[in-house]
Amino acid sequence: MKVALTGNPNSGKTTLFNAITGRVERVGNWPGVTIEKKEGVVKQRLHQEKNEIIVVDLPGAYSMSPFTSEESITSDFVKNEKPDVIINIVDAANLRRSLFFTTQLLELGIPVVVALNKSDLLKKKGIVLNVELLAKRLGCPVVKTIATGGSNSGLKELMAAVVGAKGRQQTAPFNGAGMQLTDQEAERAVDKKRFAFVDKIVDEVEEKKISSNGQTKQDAVDKILAHPWLGLPIFALVMWTVFSISQTHLGPFLADVFVGWIDSFYVWAEGLLAAGVSPVLRAILLDGIIGGVGAVVGFLPLIMVLFFLLALLEDCGYMTRVAVVMDRFFKRIGLSGKSIIPMIIGTGCAIPGVMAARTIKNERQRRTTVMLTPFMPCGAKLPVIALFSGVFFNHAAWVGTLMYFVGIAIIVIGALIVVRITGEKNVRSVFILELPDYKFPSIKRAAVSMFAKAKAFIIKAGTIILLCNAVVQIMQTFNWQFQVVAEGAEHTSILAGIASPFALLLIPLGFGTWQLAAAAITGFIAKENVVGTLAVVYSITNFIDVEEFALVGGATTVAEVMGLTSAAALAYLMFNLFTPPCFAAIGAMNAEMENKKWLASALLFQLSTGYVMAFITYQSGTFLTTGAPGTGFLPGLIVVAAIIGTMAYLVRKGNQKAAKKLVLTV
Amino acid sequence: MKRNEKAAASLAEVQLNREYVIHEVRTNDEELKNFLFTLGCYEGEKVTLLSVLSGNYIISVKDARYCVDKELAEAIIV
Amino acid sequence: MENLIVTLIIVVIVAAAAGKIIVEKRKGAKCIGCPHGQACSSTDCSSSDFS
Repeated sequence: MKVALTGNPNSGKTTLFNAITGRVERVGNWPGVTIEKKEGVVKQRLHQEKNEIIVVDLPGAYSMSPFTSEESITSDFVKNEKPDVIINIVDAANLRRSLFFTTQLLELGIPVVVALNKSDLLKKKGIVLNVELLAKRLGCPVVKTIATGGSNSGLKELMAAVVGAKGRQQTAPFNGAGMQLTDQEAERAVDKKRFAFVDKIVDEVEEKKISSNGQTKQDAVDKILAHPWLGLPIFALVMWTVFSISQTHLGPFLADVFVGWIDSFYVWAEGLLAAGVSPVLRAILLDGIIGGVGAVVGFLPLIMVLFFLLALLEDCGYMTRVAVVMDRFFKRIGLSGKSIIPMIIGTGCAIPGVMAARTIKNERQRRTTVMLTPFMPCGAKLPVIALFSGVFFNHAAWVGTLMYFVGIAIIVIGALIVVRITGEKNVRSVFILELPDYKFPSIKRAAVSMFAKAKAFIIKAGTIILLCNAVVQIMQTFNWQFQVVAEGAEHTSILAGIASPFALLLIPLGFGTWQLAAAAITGFIAKENVVGTLAVVYSITNFIDVEEFALVGGATTVAEVMGLTSAAALAYLMFNLFTPPCFAAIGAMNAEMENKKWLASALLFQLSTGYVMAFITYQSGTFLTTGAPGTGFLPGLIVVAAIIGTMAYLVRKGNQKAAKKLVLTV
Repeated sequence: MKRNEKAAASLAEVQLNREYVIHEVRTNDEELKNFLFTLGCYEGEKVTLLSVLSGNYIISVKDARYCVDKELAEAIIV
Repeated sequence: MENLIVTLIIVVIVAAAAGKIIVEKRKGAKCIGCPHGQACSSTDCSSSDFS
């Protein structure tokens, strides 16, 4: 049996979907559209049917007007796939707007069941609903639900109603289908009548003690959180707290314990391998596989805490207020407040962040946001930051914080550059955002999300990172004649052979050694690989608590082994953080850009940014600390000058384009 | 002195927390007009300006809250 | 003799890792590290609606 799930955005649709399907998701493709279909199987314990019930999650929509593309997916789906039943999820506190869509769905000729969601909030808001009367007026079953779960979630009743509705004849209480829909005026006239019809029903069915058109407690909270002057500092404080807890306090505390276990495991494995085992194999298994993966997995607690906090943040509704606060600033760089949300999500993982940019209607803004979101350090980059701040800067908190601020600065400059190059400096775009109610974030959901991410992280470590490390270890052990490389002759290994040409390019940046080049390259497969590869090429296995090195000695030894000054280390860190993201994220960018030219430009921009940032950091850092520029200053300067020169040229051309456009519109 | 109702004010200029009736949605962007329509924002419908935050306007239409920027607020004439 | 065992262990680990990746790719997961690996290209990837 196939069921379609649809409703207004912010109605709790995704929550309901996850609640009834338990997130067993399958993917398909909408014909002709790039948005992928989300399907799930309803949990067996919610219904009595023998066969499985499949639920398809349709995109959130306010109506089925034929004039917008996303909403036509709904009508296309119904026409082509003929679902048995449609579940229309409706925010119980918002009937006047929501039922507009409902009446349209009722005209499709398919049985509809209305899930009256967030019904637990009705009492709090002083609303009383006559559900039976509503069902009668609409001509379909109406089930109260609380998608966030609990004992009276109504989910079983919902599925029972769905099963019972199958095969039934659906009549439409308001029939707009019969009327002429040739032009907008006619369409609008019909819709006005539709709204009037809805109003009549709601008047009968709903009793409100408090007028919802007046200011509420939520607005009072908004006044503070979205305050023109306090809003930004509050946001900065919130983000700082999130990172502080995950990177400086709770995270490392848990990580220390965790890393202790990993170390014991390593020692145990080391003990098992008898002396007779070939050192090559020993190295591959111990250093390459266990050591390399262990170095990365040690960061798991930090990442888990981060994701937990981010989930709480997303759940409570504060993010939309952040968009309100940031809109004022983002407008000055050619974006809207909506762009902040992908970037915040991007601090967890850039891929869902890039996907979230989909809600931005303006094409240029969307693509710019997609290009800039990866500049916010993602979860995978955390091990890299932690490694370098630990080894070179004594775990100083300012290193991590600095990276985020640099990311923000790059985003601002990048947005300005893009808006000028595309000549859209003077183009205005509209900002409208629905403000959902604040709600207390669900600890359970955040925990579920955290464990899902933890599981995925471990899988990623055990597969991709493991393979990369093993390959790197092998390439480092053998030279091109497949002989084992002698101690001290590492530069003849396969790995060195491949990485050295790239290393040349990196000399002006202060880290022109093949080991570091190799690590940066593997970073494109997964940013965690930078840590993993470094662990392998330098035979280091414990990065978190660098004082407790049983194997290599103290912290200074690690720094010496890498051969980097502080300036170079900072430069290397920036290089890895502010270049193009991992291939998977690039794939997501590609999907959202929908334009090869934009994608290529974005990647070039990201590459250039990494290079320029590293160059500036290394050269000025070296100059400040030693009074002389670093290695390769002149060649590097030429490259950087060329990059900046090209950007300046493009910006000027864009400005001319914008000026021309302005003349045309006057 | 009686205020001339025909000298329409936009939502960016009205008093807070008072219900007004939309007179017109003045914009050249048809897609925007359609979208606003589906939210219940069109001539004859009631709208309230709840607050002004950080340069943006929080409005209430059909029991739902939205944040719109100044330009959009100026397009809604009451 | 021990060399053989260790080599076998390494091969098994590597093969398992590679195998897992292939299986995931066949199932359609866009990125192995993402909890929403399967549905990562759906309308919204976070836990809430934002449109």
